[in-house]
Amino acid sequence: MPVRHGLLALLSGGPRHGYQLRLEFEASTGATWPLNIGQVYTTLSRLERDGLVAPAAESDEQGRVVYTITAAGREEMERWFSTPVVQSDRPRDELVVKLAMAVAAKEVDVSEVIHLQRTATMRTLQQLTRAKRAATEGVAQRLVLDSMIFQAEAEQRWLDHCESVLKEER
Amino acid sequence: MTVVRLAEVSRVHGEGATAVHALKGVSLDVEAGELVAVMGPSGSGKSTLLNLAGGLDRPTSGTVHIGGHDLATTRDLASLRRREVGYVFQDLNLIPSLTAVENVMLPRELDGVRSRRAREEAMAVLAEIEVADLADRFPEELSGGQRQRVAIARALVGARCLLLADEPTGALDTRTGDEILQVLRARCDAGAAVLLVTHEPRYAAWADRVVFLRDGTIADATDRSLVSAR
Repeated sequence: MPVRHGLLALLSGGPRHGYQLRLEFEASTGATWPLNIGQVYTTLSRLERDGLVAPAAESDEQGRVVYTITAAGREEMERWFSTPVVQSDRPRDELVVKLAMAVAAKEVDVSEVIHLQRTATMRTLQQLTRAKRAATEGVAQRLVLDSMIFQAEAEQRWLDHCESVLKEER
Repeated sequence: MTVVRLAEVSRVHGEGATAVHALKGVSLDVEAGELVAVMGPSGSGKSTLLNLAGGLDRPTSGTVHIGGHDLATTRDLASLRRREVGYVFQDLNLIPSLTAVENVMLPRELDGVRSRRAREEAMAVLAEIEVADLADRFPEELSGGQRQRVAIARALVGARCLLLADEPTGALDTRTGDEILQVLRARCDAGAAVLLVTHEPRYAAWADRVVFLRDGTIADATDRSLVSAR
């Protein structure tokens, strides 16, 4: 439930209205997780239903509803931060399946598949690195980009590994 | 402007049945302001390529030009190397009995530059990469990242147009490694040509172009068109 908990985390810094929450959420995650405003309000009303946030009695001067985190909301947020994430429901990686199938299917030039992918992944890595150099939204955004860089790097290393293992097998 | 040009370069170690073909007809140009990364497994020819590009080794066939000079016909290669090329290696080779600034001054003094001016130049480049405050420390008084910065300063001092870096991020943690790449990148953006050998994809990704070496030949490369799209 990252959106739900993300909003709680932002609200723990003080009362905010929906649009402000959306802006701060996207700035922190480096726009890797775009939120639409509808999603923010739906989530806020569920949080309100569960007693984790409370709307102020009066709207601000521009007619926007300002939300405050409740004690129960704080508890829920602390529970979230103190629980490690389990990678159980990770979606299957198409590349892994593709390479396995390329090896299984006798007619496919696996090393060509690897070369193409490696060049494409390196381009992604170059783009992420440029984005990181240009990042101005603060440390949260940079760390999100770092996470994507580490993932692309892991894929690149795995491709190198596949290449050398397949070379031995031949 | 092409700073270093390798044309159909091959390097064979030994001869006969035991000959090792370290590099087989590799062609590669690096332009001023361009950062090119060379990746490949051990034994793929990365270091051979770098040594040939810097005039530390001679090709069995093919030609190497640095700043328009054909290395095969250059009389004083050592002097050309000192004037035009800076080297950064994994083993830093800083001289332990000299301070940081003295290490950086050394190549300029070998060039016959007077001590006072060499010191000014060394201090300028140490300031450029933000380690001026470490100038009077000895290598053993510096952290790994700081030592690598000083080694890079030594490679940059004077108006050298080509920087060759062999695994410059060696044993550094990723944050410090990123800082080293930041320094190399900035130097590149200021007009130098940089050829970087690394086996780590995350550092290669700082380059404008990444070349993959396999068994002494270029297996594939991210194209140059991306550079202009920058």
